[in-house]
Amino acid sequence: MKPDLSVEVGSLRLRGPVLAASGTFGYGTEVPLLERRALAGMVSKGIFLRPREGTPPPRIVETPGGMLNAIGLQGPGVEVLISDYAPKWAAWDFPVLVNINGESANEYGELAARLDGVPGVAGFEINISCPNVEQGGLYFGNDPRAAAAVTEAVRRRTKLPVWVKLTPMVGDIGVIARAVEGAGADALCAINTFVGMSIDLSSYRPRLSFRTGGLSGPAIRPLAVHLAHQAARAVRIPVIGIGGIARAEDALEFLVAGCAAVQVGTATFVNPKAIEEVHDGIAAHLQAKGFGSLADLPRYLPRD
Amino acid sequence: MVVLGFYAPEIATSVRAGQFVNIGWTPGPLLRRPFSVYRAEDERIEVVLKAVGVGTEQLLAMEIGDRVSCLGPLGRGFAMTGSGVVLVSGGLGVAPMPLAVRDARAAGMEVTWVHGARTAAELCAEADGDRVIWATDDGSQGFHGSAVVAAPDADLVLACGPNPMLAAAAERWPDAQVAVETYMGCGTGVCLGCAVPLHRGGYDRACTEGPVYRAGDVDWSALPSHLHYAVGA
Repeated sequence: MKPDLSVEVGSLRLRGPVLAASGTFGYGTEVPLLERRALAGMVSKGIFLRPREGTPPPRIVETPGGMLNAIGLQGPGVEVLISDYAPKWAAWDFPVLVNINGESANEYGELAARLDGVPGVAGFEINISCPNVEQGGLYFGNDPRAAAAVTEAVRRRTKLPVWVKLTPMVGDIGVIARAVEGAGADALCAINTFVGMSIDLSSYRPRLSFRTGGLSGPAIRPLAVHLAHQAARAVRIPVIGIGGIARAEDALEFLVAGCAAVQVGTATFVNPKAIEEVHDGIAAHLQAKGFGSLADLPRYLPRD
Repeated sequence: MVVLGFYAPEIATSVRAGQFVNIGWTPGPLLRRPFSVYRAEDERIEVVLKAVGVGTEQLLAMEIGDRVSCLGPLGRGFAMTGSGVVLVSGGLGVAPMPLAVRDARAAGMEVTWVHGARTAAELCAEADGDRVIWATDDGSQGFHGSAVVAAPDADLVLACGPNPMLAAAAERWPDAQVAVETYMGCGTGVCLGCAVPLHRGGYDRACTEGPVYRAGDVDWSALPSHLHYAVGA
């Protein structure tokens, strides 16, 4: 018998534990080859109220086992998202959450209010952790009061699920996790990229035009597993693990470490079938171990 | 310069000049690497490359029969219009040209191919077309100077080479179609890593709207000129 892979993240029931991470799946219309049955949900590319050009090239550079990116949240703005993409999402058989961004708590709230009730929008992932914007982004993510204020601003404007994507660039992720839990978040996503830098030895300058970028890929996985675990220990709401997942074994590490679900990101750039391979691999693991459902998977989550 | 051939029947039958494939290999770098399709015959495609880092060295070390993962054909290729075409290539910019010759001939066009490189040793020996002009920066073969200067005018100019060469082509022929080289992440339009700055403002994606652009549309001053993949390990 096929094991039951469905999971509940707050009020949202997902058909599996593997979602597509924001910024690595566009608006869901671009990725080829993927069998969508394996996709439990998708988080859209980050959006602001207004269109954004993004940063000048070079925007990405490969590093050992990973990549740095500084895209700068290029996007068409919320109105185009509503007119061009949400109607497509409304017809899909998995939920789409919108990754929302702002330069102030008020802007996050306005975005949530604008998107609340739009058919196709199943919830929000608050991005308080983008390292590649001059205003906002990371600033909100490493101060518990600012993180809570943004979460509250969104929470007040919507009854849809509100997830908060955390930055790893903090001293104690548990402090931020508890702050946004207290402000009404339904779930946490841990973690966004690490801030990194790579220097070109022919120009003696940073390789990225933005100077720094967000590090993703297998290189960050052990760091991410630890931080997701720390976040999961700190709160009662579900944690969605993110960071360098390319194979089912990687996802299982996050799940055992206390995550309710996972997001796959950079791996889809390399392997358009990564999400279905992770999903099917989790099923195969459960079956081989004799577990009837994902809920039977042993978790390592001692409470403090 | 090395030519590598792959068994890729679906790509071979559908690829157009200027389109590319995104190739991944094991053991290899994390990200795939984009290559213009050089030739396509029957069930086979070819790409050209230079060993510039650990990644390409790994690719060149493969044995006949080893497998790679080949995603494509990707991007928007050259559009063939008019009665004659001048192809201008610099260095590895020869990559899309044999297919351009094929597609131009199929459209009944007369083909001139201007071949440029830094030195005679770096010139690609592949030459096709009704007329072939050679140009080297050091004058060791053919015209002494840039392929852009050596080229005659034509209804349609297609160019591929280092970005400074394409910038020069844009000055002379704003309507030329040029295939740009950028650092690339996914190759399929989602990562927005291959941003090409445009004069009208903003960026679009070399992998999706490109890699072929109207030369005059690209803001060449904002497009980095030296791009190399840094890491293979």
